[in-house]
Amino acid sequence: MKITTEDIRVAFHAREILKGVSIESENKELVGIIGPNGSGKSTLLKCIYRILKPDAGSVYLDGEELHSMSVKDSARKMAVVAQHNYYNFDFTVREVVLMGRAPHKKTLERDNARDYQIVEESLKTVQMEQFAERTFSTLSGGEQQRVILARALAQQTPALILDEPTNHLDITHQIMLMELVKKLNVTVISAIHDLNIAAAYCDKIYVLKEGNLEGYGTPQEVLTPELIRRIYRVESEIVYDSHGKMHILFL
Amino acid sequence: MKEENLQEKRSKILRKTSYIAVFLGLLAFLIFSILAAITFGNADLSLKDVYSVIAYKLFHIKRLSEYAEGAIHDVVWLIRLPRVLLALGVGMALSVCGVVMQAIVQNPLADPYVLGISSGASLGATLAIMLGVGGFLGGNSVGVTAFVGALVTSFAVIFIANMGGKATSAKLILAGMAVSAVCLAFSNFVIYITNDKSAATEVMKWSMGSLAGASWNRVAVMLPITLIATGLFWTQYRNLNLMLLGDEVSITLGTDLHRLRTSYLILASVMIGFAVYCAGVIGFVGLVIPHVVRILFGTDHRKLLPLSALLGASFLIWCDVACRIVLKNSEMPIGVLVSIIGAPCFIYLLIRKSYGFGGGK
Repeated sequence: MKITTEDIRVAFHAREILKGVSIESENKELVGIIGPNGSGKSTLLKCIYRILKPDAGSVYLDGEELHSMSVKDSARKMAVVAQHNYYNFDFTVREVVLMGRAPHKKTLERDNARDYQIVEESLKTVQMEQFAERTFSTLSGGEQQRVILARALAQQTPALILDEPTNHLDITHQIMLMELVKKLNVTVISAIHDLNIAAAYCDKIYVLKEGNLEGYGTPQEVLTPELIRRIYRVESEIVYDSHGKMHILFL
Repeated sequence: MKEENLQEKRSKILRKTSYIAVFLGLLAFLIFSILAAITFGNADLSLKDVYSVIAYKLFHIKRLSEYAEGAIHDVVWLIRLPRVLLALGVGMALSVCGVVMQAIVQNPLADPYVLGISSGASLGATLAIMLGVGGFLGGNSVGVTAFVGALVTSFAVIFIANMGGKATSAKLILAGMAVSAVCLAFSNFVIYITNDKSAATEVMKWSMGSLAGASWNRVAVMLPITLIATGLFWTQYRNLNLMLLGDEVSITLGTDLHRLRTSYLILASVMIGFAVYCAGVIGFVGLVIPHVVRILFGTDHRKLLPLSALLGASFLIWCDVACRIVLKNSEMPIGVLVSIIGAPCFIYLLIRKSYGFGGGK
């Protein structure tokens, strides 16, 4: 699925968070959004997954304007793994993942064997099947993150929006998550903090600073010492290892 | 691998059957409670008398026609049975609304009165008792004005919470507290200036709740409303689950909760309004029953709603029985008794570690 934003502007009171951001992801592309804290990454993603309505500009899913669709339709097109996952009540892991099936359900439709099968498969994919009966709130931050990813997988959408998905994850699961997302073969837009992760997995990177786009392109094109200095004010060196993989060293 | 699958299947079946077994068990217990509860009371009736009246009334068995009228008939059919059924309806309504309100405001400490309904109802009752407001309504003017008070306050709270942006759970709770404080202040003011001790006692009695005013008329209002509303809420289990995840997550899962929330609030308010009309303010049932069921069967509303409904109905029936027999020649206010039983349960819940409450571990 193709996701496009057109001149998105968002302001909270007098403070402009996004000053006209247009990004585009082709079908099945993994697009990374990088930028320092407060650059507007999350705000942009929130506009895309429609919990924020931009003051100006629009979001298109396969050319269709986002707010002209029903919430249910958009939830069938994109799933979200974001940072707000604090629950006040004790759901089991399986129940949380099962909620990913909600957009596919009519009011009185029951959850059937197929739904449960999808839930089990999703849990297996994120290696959390052992935890199905556990209470969600008793899991560690990283485990919760994986369960939320499983819920997004259960939605079976052609697009996935990730807001700093590797937060809370140890290195094993950071790599596992990114490999998995890459293999899903769906359109992914993800805010990413770790530049090395972005370099390793993204097809395309957009750079945000203070609500403006400061550059975009392939990791090799974008992640240069000059840009990193300009955006993050740190010195760096780009090296390629024996496999030809790119690494960013901070000096 | 195959064995694993088999095991998985077996545990799934076990889970499902245990829920169905519990559901049927609670349903059976509720029926047993109804039948048992009508044998308790001040009048000394034998079991045979009691059930003969019921059997005659239900099946019109000729042999039992001596029970068609008379004192025994009146006690069983006109006093006890409606009272037990009213307890069932009120208990069910309170528990279901407790579940729904806790989901709506995403707060485990919410109860059916969280929107200030009890204070609104008290204000209505106070006005009726002290100042004779609604006297033209005749016999049950107190109940009617309380009903009106309850609905007016909850609608006011919903309206206030929706002003200046969408109603969030925090706004609902705070608006409920504020409106509640105003109502309480007004009713205290009325009680203070009228300075009528006997009327003040009456207000107090009313605010402690009682099922003594039970009649078939009230049952005919309370029971259908409760059963229909409970059924309606049951069909909404998926949305109630989503409510606990919050508005933002729900949108990403395909449901905009804003409009649903308001309609649930209205339905719950009507339900609670009628419960108040029938039995005054009975606290704690709506708070404790949902938590007890959650501890035992989890938070999934598909199970939580029906089990809470059944358990709450049985619980209030037995509380009412206790009210009738604890004191000799007099009745204990049911609100008092429920709190005496409910509060320790609640404290137990608070200190129980395996129950998350705030996801705390």
